[in-house]
Amino acid sequence: MTTNNPLAQLLTSVKAKTLTLIGDGAGNSTTANISDAEASRFLAQASMGATRAEMARVQSLGYAGWMDAQFALPQAQSRWDWLVVRGFSATTHRHSENGFDAASWCKLLNAPDTLRQRIALALSEILVVGIDGLSGGWRAFTAAHYQDILENNAFGNYRKLLEEVTLSPAMGEWLTYKGNLKANPASGALPDENYAREIMQLFTIGLVQLNLDGTPKLVGGVQQYAYRQADVMGLARVWTGWDWDFTGGNSATPDFQGRPMRQIPARCESGQKEFLGTAIPAGTDGRTSMKMALDALFNHPNVGPFIGKQLIQRLVTSNPSPAYVGRVASIFNNDGNGVRGNLRAVVKAILLDYEARNTVNNTSSFGKLREPMLRFANWARACNAISASGNWAVGNTSDPGTRLGQSPLRSPTVFNFFRPGYVPPNTAMGNAGLMAPEFQITNASSVVGYVNFMQRVVSNGIGDVRGDYSTLLPLAKNAQTLLNEINLVLAAGQVSTANLAAMAGAVNGMPVNSDAALNRRVQAALLMVLASPEYIVQK
Amino acid sequence: MNRIIDNRSRRKFIKNALSVSASSAVAPWVLNFAALGEAAAAGANDYKALVCVFLYGGNDYANTLVPYDASSYAQYQALRPNLAYAFPSLAGTALNPTQAPVDKAGVVRQYALAPELAPLLPLFNDGKMGVLLNVGNLIQPVTKEQYLANSAPLPAKLFSHNDQQSEWQSSGPEGTTTGWAGRMQDLLTSGSSKDIFSCVNVYGNAVFLSGLTSSQYQVTKNGPVALNSANSLFGSYAAAKVMQSVMTAASRHPLESDYANVMMQALTANQMLTAALNSAPAIGTPFPTGNSLAEQLKMVARMASVAPTLGIKRQVFFVALNGFDNHDNLATTHPQLLTSVATALSSFYNATAELGMASAITAFTASDFGRTLTVNSDGSDHGWGSMHFMLGGAVKGRRFYGVPPIVASNGPDDVGQGRLLPTTAVDQYAATLGKWFGLTETQLLGALPNLSNYAQATRDIGFMA
Repeated sequence: MTTNNPLAQLLTSVKAKTLTLIGDGAGNSTTANISDAEASRFLAQASMGATRAEMARVQSLGYAGWMDAQFALPQAQSRWDWLVVRGFSATTHRHSENGFDAASWCKLLNAPDTLRQRIALALSEILVVGIDGLSGGWRAFTAAHYQDILENNAFGNYRKLLEEVTLSPAMGEWLTYKGNLKANPASGALPDENYAREIMQLFTIGLVQLNLDGTPKLVGGVQQYAYRQADVMGLARVWTGWDWDFTGGNSATPDFQGRPMRQIPARCESGQKEFLGTAIPAGTDGRTSMKMALDALFNHPNVGPFIGKQLIQRLVTSNPSPAYVGRVASIFNNDGNGVRGNLRAVVKAILLDYEARNTVNNTSSFGKLREPMLRFANWARACNAISASGNWAVGNTSDPGTRLGQSPLRSPTVFNFFRPGYVPPNTAMGNAGLMAPEFQITNASSVVGYVNFMQRVVSNGIGDVRGDYSTLLPLAKNAQTLLNEINLVLAAGQVSTANLAAMAGAVNGMPVNSDAALNRRVQAALLMVLASPEYIVQK
Repeated sequence: MNRIIDNRSRRKFIKNALSVSASSAVAPWVLNFAALGEAAAAGANDYKALVCVFLYGGNDYANTLVPYDASSYAQYQALRPNLAYAFPSLAGTALNPTQAPVDKAGVVRQYALAPELAPLLPLFNDGKMGVLLNVGNLIQPVTKEQYLANSAPLPAKLFSHNDQQSEWQSSGPEGTTTGWAGRMQDLLTSGSSKDIFSCVNVYGNAVFLSGLTSSQYQVTKNGPVALNSANSLFGSYAAAKVMQSVMTAASRHPLESDYANVMMQALTANQMLTAALNSAPAIGTPFPTGNSLAEQLKMVARMASVAPTLGIKRQVFFVALNGFDNHDNLATTHPQLLTSVATALSSFYNATAELGMASAITAFTASDFGRTLTVNSDGSDHGWGSMHFMLGGAVKGRRFYGVPPIVASNGPDDVGQGRLLPTTAVDQYAATLGKWFGLTETQLLGALPNLSNYAQATRDIGFMA
């Protein structure tokens, strides 16, 4: 093991004496000495971005120990409270999104509970809400509260998460069941089918019946639908009678957007509700119906493989083997203590799996395209970026031509920025029948827009978010050393020797005669790595 | 689904460019402009473009093309009392076709455009716009009896947004990797460098534009995105060059190579297109501001105007507007969307006329699916068949095509709640456009896998001159 960091060297030597075994013989890896590159690679999967300090902690605690430490970390101030403290609950902001992007980026770029942030971000791309689709005023608060729900439950139980999501004003507005009425025999109006369809298709069971390993169940070679239109219409009857809870106030303050929706019996379907073989008896009240419906969906055998596979894709690799999906789904189904839906156990299973930790035997297409939001966060974390004012005024990064083509909780539809099953046309991946979800937002505009954006960010920061290059500047006179360090922290050492040498050659031709010149060397080295496909593809 | 011609031995232009560049000392994105000049000379007189206007979310057909004869209107009004346009409000946009549409029972039907579509009325009356009734994704003709008995093949995953978007664009559910425009361009383009602009997306990414050899090129509504550090990275020419070399380098990892290919395409195309657009004719036709679809269509017009310069003979464009999934608040939201569509399409047609290219460019609408005719509280839900518009100088306009569906809930033409069972297939819609575009019958059958399930005489719906 080689490292330039004295703290890491010290911790490594300590760790070597206290090495513990974490493998469990069921596909999980065992730990030996964790190299710098291995620690960085783990953090690429398990955090918002590697830093020298986190790498040292991983090496000191081991993978499982590091995760346990992360599970135990207190959560920083909620996004909701962040907005309140900064005055965004003033009436002037009622019809704006002011503060929302800052509240999001503050957490993603800076919060110490980096694993929780990563999982919350992943969940926001499965249980998708987009702030642009919110309707009831106080959109910043509605969306921030939704993100808080995802963060609060990131290591909790999927059933509880599903209920908090279902009752959130954000989801009620986004998928249009807030204010949804029961059928009206006089007019022929039926309940809105939107949430019934999407909670099944996207949040729980998916379109077709699955085996434990995530492959479709085939009968005579034919896939089997997980639900039919009649199930959508039956389940739609459950999502009636829900509306904002104005208890103790009104819409002049954002408080109602932070409360679970309430149930209004007169608007709720009281007849029998049938779907997926479940019959909720006539006369069952709305809240009980909701719980029964969520229980039925949550206990469907598809949920483990359906959600587990997507979490693997968000963290580790676009094309996990069926065996990997099966191991994770098994933990979803039973965490070892008889609990179903334990996300903490699922996260551990994903990140400790042999297929995630192994660096040798995986297929040549192993890995995933880092999504643009994560690349930006990787830079911020690696360079210990801070906002001196605490305002984190990064803003909306959605424009693909000038920014990232992606921004937290700003998916245009419930189908996320990209689909988990996306197979990019006319590519090597596509020709091999492989999925590459993030490729759905990769195109001639977004690839250049990203590099231009990062060039500005690396050199000038964004808002007052600035990278701290004080640990890199001392290396700047030796370009190879500088690039090795950046490669290790940002890219887990995955930029090839030849490309590093070419980059170093170019940097070595740059002046060294002033602090500004040295800064330009650091910035050039950072951007060359950030623009490199060998970094952009996390392996 | 192995219905699509597999020819992976043909490699797309960009990969060839990449393999050449690997051993080249010249910057890899620099192309031979002399070759482009030759192509321009050859292609100047025979240019055609198709423009797909995709309405994402599933457009509500009944409040787009409103039933207007007395009995149909009464049914429409009764089935969606809180969403229906008032009868008098439709008088100004009632359509007066050269041939009245007749339903299966022999009854003459009338339609009105939603009032917000008024900007399209002059185009209809001038014979530049046609209307296609009840078109949707189908594998083969299906009766309601067959649908109910599940005794005929149906498109996979009906009523699901992402899958029906994919079916519309590619003839297969999500995960299908070639679309029918891309497949048509595979057959029509020659594999030369100018083909980089054969399939242009001004919206985002869409499978519609990808073939086995054709790839989509994405451009923003403002044009191509140039690399800011093209000639100097923080003061260093060498660093700029190394970065571009690394960004476009081939790799053994397929994801890395695929990403590098997109970057290569971006840098190559930017250089060619920026130069061409700098000499493009100014477009005087006003386009509405704050209208994303209009901005995209203006870019289409600008690109079409330089197609002769770039030597392009056949070009497909994709533009889109999101937000049509109006489960809620339809009476407020949908008219705003229609206003955007109508003003954008009207400006676009006028711009193509200004350029003298109206008969060379055909725009047509598409959407995930139609919606229910019955309502939920204040919106409509996912359906199937829908109404669409074809627009351009080569369209035989002021006419309806397809069969007027009976306006009903659980009537003979819907599968419940007014979810229309399509009587015209997307493949027929595409074949009619493709034939005009220059594909032979054999080529159409190759590009449209379901077309052979339709009798030869019904494959061309007849709306193109």
